[in-house]
Amino acid sequence: MFETGVRQFRMAWSMVQGRRLNPGNIARLVDDALATLAEFGELGTDADELVEGPMANSADRAEIVNNSLRRTARRLAAQSPFYARRFTSADADLAKLDVAGLRTIPVTVRADLIERPEDFRCTDVPAYLATRTTGTTGRPAEVWLSRYEMELWPAIGALASVLRRELLPGDVMQVNLSSRSTMAVHLPAAGCRMIGAGYRPLGIVPPEAALDGLVEGGATVLLTVPSYLAELVTAARRFGLGAGDFRLRRLVAGGEVLSGSLARAAARTFGVPVIEDPYSATEIVPVSARACRQGHLHHDLNVGLTELVDLDTGEPAAPGALGTLVITPYFPYRDCMPVFRYDTRDVARRLPEGQLRCELAAIPATSHIEGKANQLLQIPGGEIVTPRQLVEAIEALPSEPWPARYRACVAEGTGRIRLTLPASAIAGYGEAETRRHFAAAGLDTDLDIVGDDQAAALRHTRSDLHETTFASQHAFVGA
Amino acid sequence: MPTLIFPIPRWESSLTLFCLIMAAAIVVCAGALAYFRHVRIERPPVGTFNGRDIVILLIAIGILPFVYGWLPDTVVTCLLAVTFSSALYIGYQHLLGSLWFWVAAGLLFGFNIWSSNHVMGTIAGWQLWYAEQSILVALGAIAVCNLYVQGGMKLRHVGWLALGLACYDIIFASYYPLTGELLARYITHPFIPVMGMRFGEVDYVVGLGDLLVYSLFFVACYKAYGKRAAAIAACVITVMGGFATAFLPFLFNLENANLDTLVPAQSLFGPAAFLTYLWMKRHYGRERTMAEYLASRGGEAVAPRVEQVAAPEPVST
Repeated sequence: MFETGVRQFRMAWSMVQGRRLNPGNIARLVDDALATLAEFGELGTDADELVEGPMANSADRAEIVNNSLRRTARRLAAQSPFYARRFTSADADLAKLDVAGLRTIPVTVRADLIERPEDFRCTDVPAYLATRTTGTTGRPAEVWLSRYEMELWPAIGALASVLRRELLPGDVMQVNLSSRSTMAVHLPAAGCRMIGAGYRPLGIVPPEAALDGLVEGGATVLLTVPSYLAELVTAARRFGLGAGDFRLRRLVAGGEVLSGSLARAAARTFGVPVIEDPYSATEIVPVSARACRQGHLHHDLNVGLTELVDLDTGEPAAPGALGTLVITPYFPYRDCMPVFRYDTRDVARRLPEGQLRCELAAIPATSHIEGKANQLLQIPGGEIVTPRQLVEAIEALPSEPWPARYRACVAEGTGRIRLTLPASAIAGYGEAETRRHFAAAGLDTDLDIVGDDQAAALRHTRSDLHETTFASQHAFVGA
Repeated sequence: MPTLIFPIPRWESSLTLFCLIMAAAIVVCAGALAYFRHVRIERPPVGTFNGRDIVILLIAIGILPFVYGWLPDTVVTCLLAVTFSSALYIGYQHLLGSLWFWVAAGLLFGFNIWSSNHVMGTIAGWQLWYAEQSILVALGAIAVCNLYVQGGMKLRHVGWLALGLACYDIIFASYYPLTGELLARYITHPFIPVMGMRFGEVDYVVGLGDLLVYSLFFVACYKAYGKRAAAIAACVITVMGGFATAFLPFLFNLENANLDTLVPAQSLFGPAAFLTYLWMKRHYGRERTMAEYLASRGGEAVAPRVEQVAAPEPVST
């Protein structure tokens, strides 16, 4: 108890001072948290404050954010060639930098990262591990990580997981993500090791192999992407598996749009109360966001700043308007190849003004991610249709065509949405009924139906990165 | 050679001391148990007692007498006031509310300081001072005992703490009599950590540290194994903490004419407590956690969420 207090003080002191945290100290705090749960069955008073950090208090927020921004910018100006040039050209006074003045610094875009990756590498930190984006939306970007980062993030993640009781000793985590998602595979592995949980990294293998792991292997936590979850639901139904066959207590599916219909079906099939749909991206790690039960996306403010920027003006998005998430991870949580004001092009809607009433109300939120900015459809008259609207409507079709395969554009002349679907998506339903279904969802569409053999080419999903095994044949499900 | 003249027979002195120790131990142990059974103390979000905490405690206990011996009296009194107010705040603020807690603490502390300076000219005055002092110390011991046990201190930790204190007592009461010197120096000062009483010309006192260890042992046994274990603990406290401590000077003629020889109570109780812990561990098995203890009481329980060895059946509840 005494030494736990000292460890918490050391961690808090490093955070306040903006110095590198000691990952070993945080790992020992994970042990302390486990010992606390073992002894008491629950955490003590004010545990929520410890989990959410000082940022949950809006009164402290502004000062902490400004200090964190200045600290991060000062370091980048000294160590990152790209940002040294950028701050100079923006003529930014880094000592007085605050959220309001942040707009004078141009956003960093993916192209910058792809074209000049070496300019983003800080000169005072040796690189240790490279990770790449999956590249489902274009050419992949490579991000280098330091050993410090690869020790710190699992420790912070493990501590948060234990404090929130999301992962505990005795759990078995199965990860069905692309094996090339270096960071997404490595971080949970290290976290499970600290906690004493089992870890099964399977990759995007044929769904039958993943179901084996879930049923026979007794996985209690599943980490995957929505498109692969769709394949798992379809396969589980085909094999007659239901909630009673699984031991899952948590199912996490992020990285793509998760529709309500798929989430409900997955929850029923796998016997979990809710499908968690967090947000994160390789370029802005370790900043992330969590979805609450009311469908808001609450952004973690402790390790980075998240702005929602209007797609046209670059100003903060107005209430109810769409904007792109612009994210700045803070030092000392990111140190090898940091980004500053990174424009993710992930679009969300700013929530209307007013007090939130969800379980995460203390943490600022936006809507769920609506899709990528370059996939928005601009309808004549100013209306914008987002990928989420399309995915929600398609995956709600009676044929349950999961994951949704479609191509959409706005037809010139008519101004209507031209939607291309595989034949299986409307099987037994008919084109007229399908159009009425979309109209009921607020989508005025013309349909083009193509053969199922063209389905995968209509829209790439992460589950397309299938990894074959000797044990079973490569198989597509749900396409 | 001069002949020692004792103000009262030695056996009477020992018997009085035994009664005083038992009275103090019963008040503190019973109070601590009642508190443990009915009041949940606030604890930090993360953290439970472990072996290293016991080492830290022992080091602090070993250093403090030197610090107290070195510091001016006024500073020591201030430190003791802060220590007592912290202990009482943790134990009773949430029961009384902030306003009433500080009113009560102010009256208790104020009377203690006033009586330390104004009422000691008579036997009755001493007795009034001892009575008030004893209330303060008993409340402090009950609060700290629960802070530790409800904070996750196990019988195992108490056993090792008692064994460590036995060594401490032998060193600081016998070979390096700092404890006795401090007691002699501060006996009339406010917040001196003893429960006691004056009968005639003789002061009988038992230290806060001794009472704290007795109550920790008693409540930790109850938490770990139930009522029967607590009854065994009570017997050990009575025999080794009370009887042996009180009658050892009588049996071995250890006292001087002033009857102010300090008896290193923990040197007798510590090994006995440690052996009792070993016996209980062998006999009853693994100790219950706080979660399992609360579950055994029903209602307020929270089941442990971390997989571990099967919980033992309580010896009794």
